[in-house]
Amino acid sequence: MSADRAAAARAWVAHLREGGTTPWLAWTAGEDRGQATPGPLPGAQQLELLRRVNLRVLASTAAPAQRRTLADRVLAAPAAGRGKADLPLVGVSASDFGPRPVDPATVGAHELLRVASVLLADDLVALGPDPVPTAWPRPWRRRYRLVGDPVLATGLREHLRAHGRPEGGRRPVLVALAAPLDELLARTWTQRCFETGTRPWPEWLRFWRERDQLPARADLAASVRRWHARRPFVRIVTDPDRLPRQLGVRHLPQVRVPGADQAELARRVAAVVGIRVPAAERPALMRTLQRRIPGSGAAPVGVPDAEQAWVAASAARTTRELTRAGYPVVGDLADLAPARAGATRGVADDERVLDLAIRMLVDPSWRHTDRQVER
Amino acid sequence: MSRQVLLHVGCPKTGTSYLQDVLFRNQPVLREHGVLYPADRFDAHFLAALDLMTLPWGGLETEAVGAWDRLAAEVRAWDGTAIISHEIFARATPGQVARALASLGDAEVHLVLSVRDLVRQIPAEWQENVKHRSHVTYAAFLRTIRDPARESKIGSWFWAVQEIPDILDRWAASLPPERVHLVTVPPSGSDRGELWRRFSRTFGLDDLPLDLTAERENPSLGVPETSLLRTINQRVTSVLAPPDYRPLVREVLAHQTLSRGVASARLGLAPADHAWAQELSRSWVAVLAERGYDVAGSLDDLLGPEPGAFADPDTATADELLPPALDAISALLVEAARLRAVEERLHGELREAHEERDRARLTTSHRLRRRVVTTLEDSAAGRGTLAAYRRLRGRPRPAA
Repeated sequence: MSADRAAAARAWVAHLREGGTTPWLAWTAGEDRGQATPGPLPGAQQLELLRRVNLRVLASTAAPAQRRTLADRVLAAPAAGRGKADLPLVGVSASDFGPRPVDPATVGAHELLRVASVLLADDLVALGPDPVPTAWPRPWRRRYRLVGDPVLATGLREHLRAHGRPEGGRRPVLVALAAPLDELLARTWTQRCFETGTRPWPEWLRFWRERDQLPARADLAASVRRWHARRPFVRIVTDPDRLPRQLGVRHLPQVRVPGADQAELARRVAAVVGIRVPAAERPALMRTLQRRIPGSGAAPVGVPDAEQAWVAASAARTTRELTRAGYPVVGDLADLAPARAGATRGVADDERVLDLAIRMLVDPSWRHTDRQVER
Repeated sequence: MSRQVLLHVGCPKTGTSYLQDVLFRNQPVLREHGVLYPADRFDAHFLAALDLMTLPWGGLETEAVGAWDRLAAEVRAWDGTAIISHEIFARATPGQVARALASLGDAEVHLVLSVRDLVRQIPAEWQENVKHRSHVTYAAFLRTIRDPARESKIGSWFWAVQEIPDILDRWAASLPPERVHLVTVPPSGSDRGELWRRFSRTFGLDDLPLDLTAERENPSLGVPETSLLRTINQRVTSVLAPPDYRPLVREVLAHQTLSRGVASARLGLAPADHAWAQELSRSWVAVLAERGYDVAGSLDDLLGPEPGAFADPDTATADELLPPALDAISALLVEAARLRAVEERLHGELREAHEERDRARLTTSHRLRRRVVTTLEDSAAGRGTLAAYRRLRGRPRPAA
């Protein structure tokens, strides 16, 4: 390592801390400018993420103090998980050992997301869980229990609890929220991302296909059986317009289904939150993220063509099971058949997920406690 | 008494499980002699490492929340010698190393790195990968680690925990060489107690009355056994979640069953790979010798054995795989029978609990109390009375 390049690297770090956006290979200044970071040089992942954050900050109204705090956090953040070690800068490291030096501009979005997910997890932990609105239970409410579509069930449970209609009670009607099985699977994975995290969507789907099983919440027949509900107290609802009546209300709010990018980012953040707070605290924090995560415009994940045949067969099996069991159906069980063959499907893209992550790091409005959040 | 921390950061596959087991089981004796090994469970320092390095690990990380800070606090509060030991600390980045050393306070830190020759480490690391769900072939594994770009997860992890000079660059950069201790694993065929004697000398445990019985080791597998396990992984890793894989495959199959095949050929390196590994080791030995660290054993131990007969696990025949496969089926059936017995016992206990509950519900007093509660629940005043009563009795409100 030439001493010049080492000094240049320190100067470049200081430049980035000041909000600079010059790529490393275009950096020519050698002298230290501003306050250099003490300790070892951050890895190329942290430095490139900071540069990209700065590019976004340029277009924002963030105060200089805020920018500096964020810059220091980015430089100090580890990259979560078993990926690459912190990568040295090309032209600086003279060691014959350790990972090969890289040009930070070539570090992939996947690697940058490992750092960004740590920062977002820390933001979420610092924010704390949103309070859960509750109201005194109305004595005349319809007693119900929700199973099926986890995204919808989670949103509705919260809404109903806030309006004095908590789930459960004596002899509840078991309302199974049905949907075309491909959507149900996508929503089951999506909700899982906003709870404990899970494996990536294609791997998750393959896991169930190779087992030829459905995950518990997407298996409507098993979900109903699990509660030992008697037939008159069960409703399989495939027609969303007729759902409010089954729950004893006139209207229900629209529940937002997170897009592929939001779910993928949440999946990564959940893994880090799991190592930051006790297990019992993670669900409320992740639910808070689900309410507050900004939109990215991406559609929810969809079942790829290769898995469609299995999904169709599973849907047919579920339909047979429910028909044989004779449960009352609100709508038509034919609606369980996969609906999205050939339709546009959301696919998480690392670059877009990174873009969303950077947006959330730079624009803290999603963390404002008085912000109206979507349910 | 001066405060001293012996920080053992690696490497994997160097007898660390045995060392940690001895330290864990002998905590009271160690304390009596002024040595702290702070661990409330065997894997306490593993969890601390996961926490320090923000390393999710198949769900285990949820048990690691705050583990490093707790461990460091115990070490700081101890007025004597404290030992921290886990091999995955070897992977820490410079920033994490700086945080770890800073959190140990003003103690005199000694870094301990146990090391073994690459000729034995490479096959051992491939086996370890296979025991952690991987189905990469041996040939692909070797290609991956020989790729200078280290782009893959396997390659980057392997070198992060096995490249001795780099680990020392990260961990020992701020320490004088006399406070850096290398413990070399003796060559194959050495006296079984020699490695312990080297550890014991380095950790200052020579005169302590420790129970050295081996209760927990990380046994190696033979060539056909590893090959079989890799083949099993190909079938099961996509359908078996990590919490199920660990007890059923890693423990029952690998550790308790397949590792018993002591007569099987041991895995080594093909001649070309052997020459490359030894050449690399020689360059490391030269660098380490210049640095002047304290060495328990000899740096020449890092050169490894001379080439021997090589059995290729990627070409193991069906005939070779059949005996361990039958052992595996047998072990899994026995395990299934054990789990059936557990299930049956739990069903029995549940049945008894249900019967007991039903008997209690038949009593007149229960029926009377039930009626009172249902009546009260029908009015706002009644619900208020019930809530007040439950608060007085210290009972939670029933879930809605």
